[in-house]
Amino acid sequence: MEARPLQAIAGFAAYLRECGLAVGVADQRVMVQAALALPPAEYRRLEAGWRGIVCHDAPGWRRYPELFRAYWFPGRVTGQARVSGHARPRRDLRQAVESLHRSMAVDAERSTTAGDAQVSGEQPGESAADAQRAQGGASRTEALEQRDFAQWLPQDLGRLERIVEAIAQRMRRRLLRRQRLAANGRRLDVRRTLRASLKTGGVPFAPAWLARRRERPRVFVLVDVSRSMETYAQLFLRVARAFVGVLDARVFVFHTRLAEVTQLLERDSGRVQEKVNAVTAGFGGGTRIAASLKDFLDLHAGRAVSRSSRVLILSDGFDSDPEHELALGLERIKRRGARIYWLHPTIQRPQATAVTRAAGLVDAFAPVYNLDSLARVGMLVE
Amino acid sequence: MEERALKEALHQAGYVAEGGLVTTLWFAQTLERPVLLEGDAGVGKTAVAAALSHALGRRLIRLQCYEGLDLQQAVYEWNYGRQLLAIRLHEQGGSSMSERDLFSQDYLLERPLLAAISSAEPCVLLIDEIDRADEAFEAFLLEALADYQITIPEIGTIRARHRPLVVLTSNATRELSDALRRRCLYHYLDYPDSEREIAIVKSTLPEAESRLVEEAVAFVQRLRKEDLQKTPGIAETLDWIRALHQLKLKALPEDPESILRTLSCLLKTRDDRFQLTAEQVRRIAEGPRAGVAVSSA
Repeated sequence: MEARPLQAIAGFAAYLRECGLAVGVADQRVMVQAALALPPAEYRRLEAGWRGIVCHDAPGWRRYPELFRAYWFPGRVTGQARVSGHARPRRDLRQAVESLHRSMAVDAERSTTAGDAQVSGEQPGESAADAQRAQGGASRTEALEQRDFAQWLPQDLGRLERIVEAIAQRMRRRLLRRQRLAANGRRLDVRRTLRASLKTGGVPFAPAWLARRRERPRVFVLVDVSRSMETYAQLFLRVARAFVGVLDARVFVFHTRLAEVTQLLERDSGRVQEKVNAVTAGFGGGTRIAASLKDFLDLHAGRAVSRSSRVLILSDGFDSDPEHELALGLERIKRRGARIYWLHPTIQRPQATAVTRAAGLVDAFAPVYNLDSLARVGMLVE
Repeated sequence: MEERALKEALHQAGYVAEGGLVTTLWFAQTLERPVLLEGDAGVGKTAVAAALSHALGRRLIRLQCYEGLDLQQAVYEWNYGRQLLAIRLHEQGGSSMSERDLFSQDYLLERPLLAAISSAEPCVLLIDEIDRADEAFEAFLLEALADYQITIPEIGTIRARHRPLVVLTSNATRELSDALRRRCLYHYLDYPDSEREIAIVKSTLPEAESRLVEEAVAFVQRLRKEDLQKTPGIAETLDWIRALHQLKLKALPEDPESILRTLSCLLKTRDDRFQLTAEQVRRIAEGPRAGVAVSSA
C-alpha cells in the first residue's frame, strides 16, 4: 500500500480519536488489513467494515456514519460536522474538551432547529418568537461567546469527598434475593459441594458457600451547565466528581444536549479543577432538560437504569422544552424503578412550571449551595 | 466466501441481514476476529450465529453465559465419576493405573470453549449474553480469544487447529470491559426497518397473506415507538403474525378490541399490557390502514 492511503487512514483514526472514539493502534492496524482485504475504491463496504473495527459501543456506533462522511466526503456534509483538515490525535485535555464542546454545539444546533419545529407545531397559536421566549432565564439559543467563570476553589476537598461518602453510605446496598458464591458465605451450596467432592472421592474437602448478593446502586449524575447555572456548575461538577470517585457514578453534562464526561472526571489529580473549568467553560446556553433526559435514556444509560439506580439531577429546573415533556422524561426513569433526586442551587425548590408539574415524580428535592447544604442531602437520599 | 455469496447464504439460512452486518461478518471471517453483537433483546443477535453456521456449513457450538459461570462449565472438566470407576475396575482386575492414564483425553469432558478450540473442523462459537457472565470469566475469555489456545495443566496447551468464528452477544445489562470490546469487531443490531422486517416475516412465514404481513409489521413498527417496558422484537412479530395467520386473517382486524386480544404475542409485561388501551391500539393501527386505503384508492 502506498504511503498516502496509509496516512489517510491514520488521519481518519486520529480524527475519530479527536471526536471521542477510542481507536487504538491495534484498531488502526486492523483498519489497514481491512482496507487491503477490500478494493479501497469500494468505500461503501469499507465504511461498514471499519465501523465494526473502530466502534466499541452503541453511542460510537450511532455517531460513526456522520464522522465517516465528515472526514472522507466533507463536501457532502451540510453544515453539521466540521473538519479542520488537520486532524491530529487528541493529545491533551483541552483538545478533548474542545472536541466535546464542538460535538455538543453541533447536536445543539440541530436539536434547537428540531425543537423549534416541535414547539411551533404543538402550540399553533404562538409565533416562533414566542416559542423562543425564555422561561425563568433559560433560553433555547446558544451562548455565542465563552464566558469567564468565578473560580470555585474549595478550601477542603477532602471534606467534599467525605460528605459524598456519607451520602453513598445512605444509598444503602441493596440486599438481593439471589445468592452468590462467596468464600465467607454462611449458607452451604449443597449442589456445588457435592459436585466438587467428586474430585476427592466423595469427601467434601472444599465446601462451597453462598452469601446474599449485595449490589451498590448505580448512580447517574446529570449536571446542568447552562447559562442560568453558570455560577454553580463548577461546584456541582466537583460534587459529581466526588460521586465518580466514591461510587463509580456516571456523570453527564447538559444544556440543550447531553454528553457524558465521566472519563474526564475519573482520575483524581491536581488537574481536577482544570478539568472542571474546561468542562463548564464555553457552555452556558439554553436549557432543554426534557430533551437531555431523553438523550440520557435513549443514547447513554438505556438499560443500565434499573431498580437499583439513583439519578441525581443537579439543576435549577429552568427548562425551555414544552412543560409536559419533563414529566414524561422523569416518568420513563421512574418506570424503570430508579429513584430521582433533584439537587438545586436555590434555597427554594425550583418554581419553573415544568418542575412543579413533575414534582411528584421526584423522590426528593434538596438545596445544594455550599458544603453544609450538601451534607444535609445525605438525610434525604437513600 | 465472498460477501455477496455470504449474504445469499445467510438469506437461504433464513436470516435477512442488512448490508453492514454482512460486511462485518465477512470481515470477521477474513480477518479472523471475533464479532461482538449488541442490541436489545429480540433483535436477532443469537440468530446471526445460527444462520452463520448454517450458511458456512460449520458446526455451531454455543456457550450460554450466566452469573456464576466458571471455567469448569465453560472450558473443561475432568470426568471424576469415570476416573473413579476406572480406578476401581483396575483395582479389581489386579492391574494398576498411572496418573498419566487417569488424566488423559479419555477422561476429559470438553465444554463449549475447549470443544471449539479442539474441533477438527472449522466451527462457529456462539458466546451468548456475555454481559451475564462475571468479570473474571470475561478476563479469561480475553486470553482465550487472543491466542485461541487453552492450557490444561495435566495435558498441556491445546491450540486451535482451525480458528473458530466467534460471535459474542450482549444485551448491555452490564458494561463490558474495553479490552474485550477492542478485541472484537463491533456491530450494533437495531430493530429492523419496515422493509427488512417484512422481508424477514415473508421469508419465515411465506404462507401468510401479504397484506396481513405489511399491516402487522407497520403496526409493530409504530408500537415500538411507544414507551414500552419491553419493546417487541422480531421473534414477537413473527409469533403475532403466525397467530393472526392461524386465525385465518388476511388483514389486521378493523376492531381494535380484536387486535388487543391477540397482543399477548407482542406485549410481555403486565404494565405494557395494562397501559395499551383500545383507543391507543386504534390510533396505532390507523396509520397503516390509512396508507393501504390511499394506495388502493
